[in-house]
Amino acid sequence: MSVLETFQLAIKNILSSKMRTFLTMLGIIIGVCAVIVIVGLGNGMQGYIEDSFADMGTDSLTVMIMGRGSSRSVSEEDMYELAEENSEYLKQISPTVTMMGSVKIGRDTLTATSITGISEDYFSMKGYEVVQGRGLQYMDMTDRKKVCVVGQYLNMAYFGGNAVGQTLKINGNTFTIVGVMAQEGSELEEGGTDDCVFVPYSTAARLSYTGTISSYTITVQNTDQISEAKAVVEQKLYQVFSDDDAYTVTSMAELVEEMNSMVNMIIYILAGIAAISLVVGGIGIMNIMLVSVTERTREIGIRKALGAKESAIMRQFVIEAATTSSLGGVLGILLGYGLSALATSVIANVMPDTPITVSPSLLAVVVAFGVSTGIGVVFGYLPAKKAANLNPIDALRYD
Amino acid sequence: MGALIEFRDVCKFYQMGDTTVKAANHISFQIQKGEFVAIVGQSGSGKSTCMNIIGCLDVPTSGAYLLDGQDVGQMNKNQLAEIRNKMLGFIFQQYNLLPKLTLLENVEVPLMYAGMPRSERHERAKIALEMVGLGNKLRHKPAQLSGGQQQRVSIARALAGDPAVILADEPTGALDSHTGREVLTMLQQLHAAGNTVVLITHDNSIAVQAQRIIRLEDGQVIYDGDASAPEAVVRPDAAGKGGMGL
Repeated sequence: MSVLETFQLAIKNILSSKMRTFLTMLGIIIGVCAVIVIVGLGNGMQGYIEDSFADMGTDSLTVMIMGRGSSRSVSEEDMYELAEENSEYLKQISPTVTMMGSVKIGRDTLTATSITGISEDYFSMKGYEVVQGRGLQYMDMTDRKKVCVVGQYLNMAYFGGNAVGQTLKINGNTFTIVGVMAQEGSELEEGGTDDCVFVPYSTAARLSYTGTISSYTITVQNTDQISEAKAVVEQKLYQVFSDDDAYTVTSMAELVEEMNSMVNMIIYILAGIAAISLVVGGIGIMNIMLVSVTERTREIGIRKALGAKESAIMRQFVIEAATTSSLGGVLGILLGYGLSALATSVIANVMPDTPITVSPSLLAVVVAFGVSTGIGVVFGYLPAKKAANLNPIDALRYD
Repeated sequence: MGALIEFRDVCKFYQMGDTTVKAANHISFQIQKGEFVAIVGQSGSGKSTCMNIIGCLDVPTSGAYLLDGQDVGQMNKNQLAEIRNKMLGFIFQQYNLLPKLTLLENVEVPLMYAGMPRSERHERAKIALEMVGLGNKLRHKPAQLSGGQQQRVSIARALAGDPAVILADEPTGALDSHTGREVLTMLQQLHAAGNTVVLITHDNSIAVQAQRIIRLEDGQVIYDGDASAPEAVVRPDAAGKGGMGL
């Protein structure tokens, strides 16, 4: 009796008691479905994290200088030199001075607006574009001009789309708007990506209380070598400070990786919990198979009398259990896909700002199917062994 | 050439609590190829034990059972299964058809375990069912048939593998006398066609349809000979057995 024929026999037996088979499979269906949805949710979250960080640029390093008292420090010239010396790794550098304070336009005071001092290279590093007027230039830096480029939100909300040439006040200093940045965020809103003012870093440093530049953004030549680039920068800074608490170098890519591994860990734990229901489902299958063996004792006796070897009986029951559970696995996968699609649209409706696409991975599907089949084999073994070991004489007399 | 079936001093003992039940107590006989033999006895006489041993469902405690010259007592479970499959055709009192399978599939079961290819199996099973007059009901389920018809299916199943011995265990036990006679006639036809038929029964009127009778009592052979002889049906020393009589 070939495996194919045994399989056909198993299908026949499964179809002859649909309700029972379905209930038997339920544990496996739920388990597989849960694992698929959870893994899909994890993938969705990772995708979301990567997308959001991609906006910030995964090709850039952020350097923060805390300093070590007043004795040692690095000037922006040192930093530019550093970037130039290591041009095989580092592409461009820009100081980034974050200014605290408020922006005043006419009579309106804006507190949510971000004010950043940058160099003339910053826009090209970040891929920002200027749609009206001009960007910040080298001369603006050297002359510490009080000019600025504003985000599209300010342009539309306060200047009616004609910001260039107008003025605004930052902490009491009047700045002339020379350019408007292209819209970056998906919506124009207060506190959003487009609610921003960019000024020359030199001007910002002078206006800020400390007067020093403590933060830099560096882009790398090759995103694959971001770790090497980071090491180079760290090494240089260590030569200056001899203390690795005096500075930090963070790469967005590493941050994304770290967050991804955290999400992964959570997902693995959740999937592990969901997998417990697979084991429970397997025990359910074993239970039903044991009942089935008892019910079919006479059939087993007849088959044995007619020449079925123990291995043939064994195979019949193991394949039946495996078919039941893998069928459950397939149904679980289908249900999992359905629920994933449902979850995606629910998330999109409930939290429109964080569109997470729940996408089950192919690997999860393959593993889920494999595991559910494996569970059938493992938990079908004991009942099958019981069936195979039945004494044909007793089995034939069984009512 | 030796006998097809040979019992040499076969014993089968069961332990039941403190007492040893001697289900078969030094039984010896031979059955030649082509014979039609009835093994007769009351319940407890050991005929079921004999049937199980002949059918290779059980092995003797001591003594030897040779089927076509092979010592069955020395075989393992797999070899027993194989010999049941190849050498024996079973006909049971309760028909023992598989209710979920069609008649054709039922007849195919032993052929399937013999590893016969599907198309050949179909062909053989069809021929066997046609022989017992059920060629028009191949796709029916056993439950759609009468008892007599079901027993004919089980005869077809026994025949399909072309076994050396057809072993019928009370084949008429669940049938009315008319259909019972039909089944017996069929067995006689099989015998006439050259098959070896062993019939196990408690009923003398059935047993006399065979050629030869082996009568068992208390696990021992008390008569072995021509079915038409008067001693075959009348216990020679019934009076002497006292309380054991009917």
